[in-house]
Amino acid sequence: MRLSSLRYVLALTLVVAVVLATGLVTAQQSTAPPTWKQGQPKEMESSTLSPVAQPPAPKAAGEIPIDKIKVPQGFKVELWASGINNARVMTWGDKGTLFVSSRVAGNVYAVVDKGGSREVKTIAKGLNLPNGVAFKDGTLYIAEIHRITKMEGIEGKLDSPPEMKVVYDTLPKDAPHGWKYLAFGPDGKLYFNIGAPCNICIPPDTHANISRVNPDGTGFEYWAHGVRNSVGFDWHPVTKELYFTTHARDWLGEDVPSDRLDVAAKKGLHFGYPYCHQGDIPDPEFGKGRSCGEFAAPLLKTGPHVAGNGVEFYTGSMFPAEYKNRIFLAQRGSWNRSQKIGFRVMMVTLRQGDVPKYEPFAEGWLQGDQIWGRPVYTRQMKDGSLLISDDYAGAIYRVSYGR
Amino acid sequence: MDELDAAGVARRANRGVNGGAVQPPHCSIKKVVRILRRATTTCRIRLLLPLLIATLIITSAALAADAEAGRRKAAACVACHGPDGNSTNPAVPTLAGQVGTYLHWQLLLYRDKRRVDAQMAPIAAALSETDMADLAAFFAAQRPTPPPEPTVAAGSDAGRRLAESYHCNDCHGRDFGGREYAPRLRGLSREYVVAQMRGFKARTRGDLDGAMTQAAQPVADADIEPLADFIGSMR
Repeated sequence: MRLSSLRYVLALTLVVAVVLATGLVTAQQSTAPPTWKQGQPKEMESSTLSPVAQPPAPKAAGEIPIDKIKVPQGFKVELWASGINNARVMTWGDKGTLFVSSRVAGNVYAVVDKGGSREVKTIAKGLNLPNGVAFKDGTLYIAEIHRITKMEGIEGKLDSPPEMKVVYDTLPKDAPHGWKYLAFGPDGKLYFNIGAPCNICIPPDTHANISRVNPDGTGFEYWAHGVRNSVGFDWHPVTKELYFTTHARDWLGEDVPSDRLDVAAKKGLHFGYPYCHQGDIPDPEFGKGRSCGEFAAPLLKTGPHVAGNGVEFYTGSMFPAEYKNRIFLAQRGSWNRSQKIGFRVMMVTLRQGDVPKYEPFAEGWLQGDQIWGRPVYTRQMKDGSLLISDDYAGAIYRVSYGR
Repeated sequence: MDELDAAGVARRANRGVNGGAVQPPHCSIKKVVRILRRATTTCRIRLLLPLLIATLIITSAALAADAEAGRRKAAACVACHGPDGNSTNPAVPTLAGQVGTYLHWQLLLYRDKRRVDAQMAPIAAALSETDMADLAAFFAAQRPTPPPEPTVAAGSDAGRRLAESYHCNDCHGRDFGGREYAPRLRGLSREYVVAQMRGFKARTRGDLDGAMTQAAQPVADADIEPLADFIGSMR
């Protein structure tokens, strides 16, 4: 009798242990939600907001309502090129070829200006989110998630592109915020971002930064820290300081946190992520025990969820004199906000001892609640006009002034 | 023709129209035919050109995604994917009712060798962008019929819990019916789901933006079959 009850107790203990262990295992199995949904608070669980899907095909020229784009008086907008699936970053070759990147389409294009029309050639395909393209001394540099490569002498070989030689591939392979902007700094180094692999998390030391490397792949170093995801930057034509946009975290509300425009005037600054957003909002989870005062404050709050991508200082002579050294900010537009915002090109006028002036330059891709395009980057032409790429419609627009 | 000549022709053409003495609002096909019969050749062109242009615009817009054209082009597809894309071969996915943008992107992935499959590669390589849009539109518009053989639903409850813990619904929708950026899972066979999941986990299954490759990494090998049991059992 005593023996059997001991057996009973033992068996019961075993059962309880197994149940507990199973429970633990089950609990461990609960993994993180997809990146876009990560950080969503319980009370927003029923939200229907989710990222905008990228169309698989560009819009036909006749389907692009170019007259909907509004620009200041005296400026004119035209459709410069179309049929470029997922067109993103634009960079000029020495001989006048416009190289255009894409993101999920996996392509890099060369656009050849034939006077009245443009010819689009796909020079690389099947790449790993090749958002970054930069050109120097006859060579095109391409940044995918996991590597930076180069095509030497590409402009003379558009129909049989040279092999892609690896420049640098000691890079994280995470897909979320892993696509890169790539640009040559005034120091001749290649700058690019390594974004946070999440919406909001304590990122590994290797992530959430802007980095740089020599064009031969040596001398890698971090330039700026605490940058969630910057996919656009440029250097001030006079001060040579680095200006960059950052997409702020999602699911904190309709109107917060603001995206930002920042200056990383020297190496090693920390811009707050994930502890502090927009310079003055501590993160509800990761901000505990930290202070926003520890971090570099934004130069400009550009608005919640606007998704600022392209940053470009205007250095041309076609636009009126006051446009000199103004910054064009291309904003791809929101998804994590019930009232859509962004979908426009803004301009920023820097003012000595005062906050920058911030106003629209081109808008109209958002009509009511409907979008027909998403401006992502700008690039000046030799004549001082401004190209705007649209990754949603797969098009490039040209804004000119006067003549 | 120089500008002056063109203006002259236009003036004559205007006289031609006015000479017809028929003006809206009372317009009928008969009257239009009568105008056209009386009009000069140039006038006929002027009258018909807008119609012609409108037709061309409508046709080219339709070319962007024409489900009926897709039906005509789908012969090679339905040979494996079944009538209207309702597959009876568990190794081949059902396309009927699948998300159109997803189907179109998959064809692009096959063409660009980002998704690798010996049978699909040559098929996708032979398709134009318009073909892809048409085929995607056609299969997306077809009614999915549930797979014929009822799958054993024994593992379904465990599978349902796994699907929740791995957040499958977040992208694939509450009812697994898919969203613009994620495929419909309802109606896919257990065998196909197992193959895809293993591929994503091994990083060998092509992926548009890496989202599913990332989502598959924490999925335990032992969980793949129960998950597929559940997904394959959905009607």
